[in-house]
Amino acid sequence: MVEIVLRSPAPSTKTHNIPGNMAIWAAILAEMSEFAIMFIVYFLAKVHNPALFSEGPTKLSTLAGASNTVIMLTSSFFVVRAVIAMRENKPQTSARWLWGAVACGVLYLIIKYFEYEWNTAQGLSAETNIFYAVYYYVTFNHFLHVGWGTAAIVWVIYRLNTDIYTQEEHEGLINIALYWHMIDLAWITIFPLLYVIR
Amino acid sequence: MYNAHIKLINYLWILLILLTLFSAYMAERAPPGLLSVSIMAVVLAIKGRIIVDYFMELKESHIILRTLMRLYFFVIPAMIILVYLYPEQIAKWTAL
Repeated sequence: MVEIVLRSPAPSTKTHNIPGNMAIWAAILAEMSEFAIMFIVYFLAKVHNPALFSEGPTKLSTLAGASNTVIMLTSSFFVVRAVIAMRENKPQTSARWLWGAVACGVLYLIIKYFEYEWNTAQGLSAETNIFYAVYYYVTFNHFLHVGWGTAAIVWVIYRLNTDIYTQEEHEGLINIALYWHMIDLAWITIFPLLYVIR
Repeated sequence: MYNAHIKLINYLWILLILLTLFSAYMAERAPPGLLSVSIMAVVLAIKGRIIVDYFMELKESHIILRTLMRLYFFVIPAMIILVYLYPEQIAKWTAL
């Protein structure tokens, strides 16, 4: 007699595995859509005002833009290392990497503040022309994201220090890591659009 | 395995920083033109792909999320080049 054993197919990790949970992905996709609308506004304003968008970036501080890009990418790297440390069951190491990311977030906000001050000293404001209106709208929106993203990382560090996360279960840490990478993705797009491309 | 993964992440971080410094150099020194705009678009596509695939770990994950996130960094760079090449046509199509 032949025995037939039915087994359900093993789920393919390549196609079905989701880093974090669906709630954070809903938030990430919503935020990416919000930034996409801003980028569409940028492109439309640029084709209708080519001279202003060609001249605009030359008056911004490339140093401030590039420094903040390096800082955002470094903070993302620190967050990745924090997740890896947690998977290796090293919560204290993970917290140290996260503090590094917090320091980067604060440094970003400080540089952006001084960049705005520098712009003001140059006589630039959101009312100067449409390029600077787009610049202030997009970058201030991103500034707010960095602010609350940094606060969220501090919250994760607190939870890490109170032993709420374990090697097996640290979804909250992964969710915030993903959200932070989304903020980084928005900035690496903003940098060439507003500071580099003439 | 973890050591190899950490090494990869470290190298990718260095690559991202070098690409950013290259962008800053282009912003200050390169003459505006199709070549420099195309290079900037490609640099953005590479940086986005690295973060999506390796930092967000979508390379081996859910196919729809992976495709959506990767698509973002095809569309925006393509828009950069299209807006440079055909500004008048796009302005004409989008005039109120």
